[in-house]
Amino acid sequence: MPRPLRTASTSSPTGRFWLAAGIAAALALGAAGAPASDVRSAPMLANTCAGCHGTDGASAGDYMPTIGGLAKGYLFEVMSDYKTGLRPSTIMGRIMRGYSDQEIWAIADFYASRPWVSTDRIGEAAAVHVGEQIHEQQCATCHEDGGRAQDDDSPRLAGQWSEYTLYALENCREQGKRCSPRKMGLRVMDLSDEELTSLADYYESQK
Amino acid sequence: MTDLTRRRFLSASAALAAAGLGLPMIGRAAPKARVVVVGGGYAGAIAAKYLQRTAPEIRVTLIEKSPYYVSCPLSNEVLSGERDLDSLTFDYRGLTRRGINVMQDEIVEVDPAQHFVRGAGGNRYNYDRLVIAPGVDYRWDAIDGMTEAAAEVVPHAWKAGPQTELLRRQLEAMDDGGVFIIVAPPNPFRCPPGPYERAAQVAHYFKVHKPKSKILLLDAKDAFSKQALFQAGWKAHYGDMIEWVPGAAGGIVEGIDPDSRTLIGQVDDYPGDVVNLIPHQRAGKLAQVAGLADDSGWCPVDPRSFESTIHPDIHVIGDACIAGAMPKSGYAANSQGKVCAAAIAAALNGDPLPAPSYVNTCYSLIAPDHGISVAGVYELNDGAIVGVPDSGGVSPADADARTRAIEAKFARSWFSNITADMFT
Ligand SMILES: Cc1cc2nc3c(=O)[nH]c(=O)nc-3n(C[C@H](O)[C@H](O)[C@H](O)COP(=O)(O)OP(=O)(O)OC[C@H]3O[C@@H](n4cnc5c(N)ncnc54)[C@H](O)[C@@H]3O)c2cc1C
Ligand code: HEC
Ligand code: HEC
Repeated sequence: MPRPLRTASTSSPTGRFWLAAGIAAALALGAAGAPASDVRSAPMLANTCAGCHGTDGASAGDYMPTIGGLAKGYLFEVMSDYKTGLRPSTIMGRIMRGYSDQEIWAIADFYASRPWVSTDRIGEAAAVHVGEQIHEQQCATCHEDGGRAQDDDSPRLAGQWSEYTLYALENCREQGKRCSPRKMGLRVMDLSDEELTSLADYYESQK
Repeated sequence: MTDLTRRRFLSASAALAAAGLGLPMIGRAAPKARVVVVGGGYAGAIAAKYLQRTAPEIRVTLIEKSPYYVSCPLSNEVLSGERDLDSLTFDYRGLTRRGINVMQDEIVEVDPAQHFVRGAGGNRYNYDRLVIAPGVDYRWDAIDGMTEAAAEVVPHAWKAGPQTELLRRQLEAMDDGGVFIIVAPPNPFRCPPGPYERAAQVAHYFKVHKPKSKILLLDAKDAFSKQALFQAGWKAHYGDMIEWVPGAAGGIVEGIDPDSRTLIGQVDDYPGDVVNLIPHQRAGKLAQVAGLADDSGWCPVDPRSFESTIHPDIHVIGDACIAGAMPKSGYAANSQGKVCAAAIAAALNGDPLPAPSYVNTCYSLIAPDHGISVAGVYELNDGAIVGVPDSGGVSPADADARTRAIEAKFARSWFSNITADMFT
């Protein structure tokens, strides 16, 4: 199995993205020559995740994140970071170590092409008020449009389960300056439990 | 599926039909290929859904003897009083809405030569491909004195439903200071961590309501799944309440006197106040009736397709099949159902069988805020299902309380997602 691809030269988000694109191209070439049945297809690989993340990555459980509809580059990066241990996890590291980088790219492609499905819970104005204010002051420059915007570096937050977002924010706070990106870690570090909870509720309310 | 393969499939079946009936093809709708799935549990429900999703041109019929499904996963929490059976009960309307024919019937006969199965009332279902997912059956003859009737006195509670409620009532009626005995079966059996999670869940109930009571785990084996994590968790939450007796130390049970609830071990006899005897197991009865099991009692299959190596065009998935390194779990059954569905769609289309990918995860709850897990990612290697090197494994032994608590949350969300994957 190919070794993890994280090296100094590829540690910038864009660098990683181009590297991923290169893998995709290599994969396409490789697949053309090999018998189809030796390469595990994207749906074959990705459908195994649905037992935890829901059919097509639309989660029905409040602590498990919805992953269907996130950007391809982001998904690839996150899964690679779980694999190398760069991103803390309870279980994703153990799972991602079972896949080659080419396979991770195929899985990312699969989930990126699924529709995003926001949770169906309604927001409570009182609960999200503080979160909205913090968001506008400290987070909106990167997480635009109420967290609806996403790209290959950062995920959509709007409509995600608040329980999961809170778990992610607590991890970031615990890592402090080591949380990626550092600018976010520096801000999240100083937030209280109540503030994090309200932020998580705010993002979930933005469908 | 691409348009090209769909067209190929339709014209192939139309040509077949025309050949068989000697009729001109023009003006006749091509008959759809028929796949019949028997058993609507963790394996069968998923095979039916994913087949219908990937290949809508196939007619999928799911036959299940019960109008609703009660999940074994999380049913140990019914024993602790943390939840009720309703929260584990599902119906099949989500699958009918997807266009799957769901029939309530019990299949009693399989005719591999003529390609049909028959229900208890005489209904006949023809198939091009058959999927059998009947779960497990018990070997009542393995323990002297144990019978199906005795299970009304010493419940197994290894299929969730009335048996689970019976065991819960017995635990509620037991006096404080009583002895609860769990008899754990030899490998292979459904849910390797299940008996040990059960011990913890019952201890959780005793701790609050009957703190002087004891739990004795008589095991046919000398080691078990997630053993170190369980033993550390038992100790941390319940002190010395749970005592595990491995096979080598006298844990092997050879007989039972159900009326006195006394277990007859190789060395000692063990009288209990409440006894939960989990019988030795084999593939579900239908698999035995259909001659799909080998001497081991389980069904040999080609792991790429889960097609029986005994009867062609019949696939066996879930607990009933022999699946290499994969344990008999709900997650494994889910994963196998998807591999099987992809293989059947390919086979009916005349495409090469796809390369398979399999995953397993089992969460266990030691206390409401203490979850542990085991995960495995598998691949096909030299015709066998093996774990991918360096992947998978169990929760770390030194995890902090926050991690244990969040794993318990993930366990419950896992349940929401895997059941939504099956039933919506
Ligand atoms: C206490 C306990 C806890 C568990 N916890 C977990 C867990 O946390 N995680 C996990 O992954 N797994 C867990 N499991 C294991 C899991 O329940 C099984 O592995 C899973 O149910 C296997 O799925 P299956 O489809 O093979 O069988 P089943 O789910 O048993 O489904 C078989 C279905 O077939 C039907 N059927 C049988 N014969 C016929 C017939 N002749 N005609 C029509 N219908 C028929 C039955 O009614 C049933 O609905 C647990 C098991 C137990 C007992
Ligand atoms: C056993 C359940 C389980 C399985 C199987 C599983 N995941 Fe996860 N996933 C989780 C959990 C739990 C988290 C939160 C991180 C952690 O603690 O591991 C997570 C987090 C993620 C995230 C991060 C989402 C975000 O925006 O932060 C992605 C992406 C992801 N998983 C993708 C996948 C893919 C793809 C697969 C299949 C190859 C998969 N997961 C299989 C449980 C699972
Ligand atoms: C400098 C830009 C930037 C700022 C400022 C920023 N973020 Fe982020 N955020 C990101 C990026 C990039 C990621 C993806 C991180 C990764 O790759 O793991 C991210 C990820 C997240 C995640 C998902 C983490 C996960 O594990 O799924 C949450 C939640 C989040 N940010 C919340 C916030 C909040 C709340 C603030 C304000 C307090 C904030 N962010 C400020 C860039 C930023």
